Amino acid sequence: MSDHAVGTPSFERPAWLGMLEPLGPLVAAFVVAGLVLLAAGHNPLEVYMLLATEAFGSSRRIAATLSAATPLILTGLATAVAFRAGAFNVGVEGCIFVGGLAAAYVGFTFAGLPAALLLPFALVAAVVVGSLWMLVPGLLKARLDVDEVVTTLMLNFIAISLTAWLVNGPLLAPGSANSATPMIAEAARLPKLMPPSTLNAGFLIAIALLGLYALWGNRTALGFETRIAGMNPRFATASGIDVPMLVIKMMLLSGAIGGLAGGIHALGNVGRFVAGFSPGYGFTGIAVALLGRGSALGIFLAALLFGALANAGATIQFFSDVPIEIVDILQGTVMVFAVAQLGRLIVRRRKAA
Amino acid sequence: MIDNIIHAAVVMTTPVLLAALGGLINRVGGIVNIGLDSMMLAGALFGLIVASMTGSWPVALLAAAAAGGVVGLAMSLAVTRLQANEIIVGLGFLVAVAGLVRFFLSAAYGSSGTLSLPDVARLPRIDIPLVADIPVLGAILSGHDPLTWAAWAMVPVTVWFLARTRLGLRLRAVGAAPQAARALGLNPLMLRDLSTVYAGIMSGLAGASLSIGVVGIFNEGITAGRGFIALAAFYFGRNRPWATAACALLFGFFDAFQIRMQGRGVPAELVQTLPYLMVIVVLTAVALAGRRAKARRA
Repeated sequence: MSDHAVGTPSFERPAWLGMLEPLGPLVAAFVVAGLVLLAAGHNPLEVYMLLATEAFGSSRRIAATLSAATPLILTGLATAVAFRAGAFNVGVEGCIFVGGLAAAYVGFTFAGLPAALLLPFALVAAVVVGSLWMLVPGLLKARLDVDEVVTTLMLNFIAISLTAWLVNGPLLAPGSANSATPMIAEAARLPKLMPPSTLNAGFLIAIALLGLYALWGNRTALGFETRIAGMNPRFATASGIDVPMLVIKMMLLSGAIGGLAGGIHALGNVGRFVAGFSPGYGFTGIAVALLGRGSALGIFLAALLFGALANAGATIQFFSDVPIEIVDILQGTVMVFAVAQLGRLIVRRRKAA
Repeated sequence: MIDNIIHAAVVMTTPVLLAALGGLINRVGGIVNIGLDSMMLAGALFGLIVASMTGSWPVALLAAAAAGGVVGLAMSLAVTRLQANEIIVGLGFLVAVAGLVRFFLSAAYGSSGTLSLPDVARLPRIDIPLVADIPVLGAILSGHDPLTWAAWAMVPVTVWFLARTRLGLRLRAVGAAPQAARALGLNPLMLRDLSTVYAGIMSGLAGASLSIGVVGIFNEGITAGRGFIALAAFYFGRNRPWATAACALLFGFFDAFQIRMQGRGVPAELVQTLPYLMVIVVLTAVALAGRRAKARRA
């Protein structure tokens, strides 16, 4: 697996082309999902219209979409940060689990603290634990050249099982039969922005981080060095950049953002940690980072798209007999097409003609 | 008790071994197949449906193999012809196929996640008279389905294929040095496609061994991540068929042990992490050994 040249966005092409580029995989994915819908006897256009109105039809629905997009912005960002340094981190899902559990643990254990202390404390716990979770694969990749795809993938399963064990035994809420921690203290909850919607301050944190990411990527030396290291590690080494150290730093940062995603999900939405905490936010984050081509605006738009799909997909089930799984099909095909060189289909055809 | 565990371990090894041997060939050809689990899922579903429709387990196995092969082909074409990154494509297929399967279940059968069909032809068990009564040996050899036998038979066949056949050597050449292989007149893309289709077929059979071999119904979580365990097995076995088979067997034992120990104080969740932990440890150990060897040479 030495030759995965992924996630290194193309910076030299004109901006407008870069903006249009992600539309190819999107259109392709909607066509594939449309065929599936047709085969099942639904009108794809009607379904897509229904999805759009459910996702953006009113301010309440927009709030729900933004709420659903919040974890995806963070996981997309976490993935993009590692991609940029050339580290192929597929372990953000695991960071969500350990980060979410850490935040929930602080949230119900130190219930006596005032909100001004407890909330930051819980979020910092999520960040630190998520970051540490990526320490081993980061070190292994940077120092021993151990394939980070495999190690981070394996760590996902370890994180899911480990946290499931913790909430089934040592951290199980007293008197609770299902695998969940006690509820967090009210002071640890992220404030809601538009009650009764679940949209909370976590969204603002995610947006702020996106802004910082854009500044960091375009305006700072470290951001520039990271980009060089991701695009051409040999050149970067020759220019005096410590590539292995950079990889470790970016893996830790990636883990920190992934952990924060878990913490925000726990403190903003769920209010505790339960087994099966994340419905694959980390994996969707990979699709978000790819579709967004590593840019802050791109990540936001891609997260918004998947957030809208998840939000609308959950509600259209009540109005139509369209199975919600159409959302998964869309998401998976977007991932495939986002890395496929669709242009090659056309080139090939032209050559044959 | 010990016989039960041995027997269960052999049963749980079969799907992992089948998928791992497929993934091994795929990796030798140069593609790391993260999507084995999705091919298992397709095989498990179609194996069960055809087993119920035709009442014939060989036909069901063919259907399962075909379903896995088709998913494998689609994935391979995305990787080889559209030059998509194999890891992302694999992850994408995991998400998309799981969605498709659930979509299909609810659209065609109106069920959410589980499919139980009438008259499912199960895989027969081959009982060996006399041997069956010998403790331990009986559990190892007797009462297993044809897929289990086929899976273990494929281990030496894979060794022979990679070491002795023209196609096997070409596949290794393609995996090790695609440019050189092309210069010699081989078609690397085509050979890679073949190896992914093979991985799909083997994973499809692995799925069938779960749906019509072990349980007799289909469930969206039927694979329980065994495609990843298979991945772990051939990583752990470093592409050598016997070592890979030994790992599959070890994971089969973990599986059997964990089922046995449920509710007896040994947390199943922790046992489940062992295969994945072992992979990380082995990759680290291999890298350390490689570095030490290099240092000695220098």
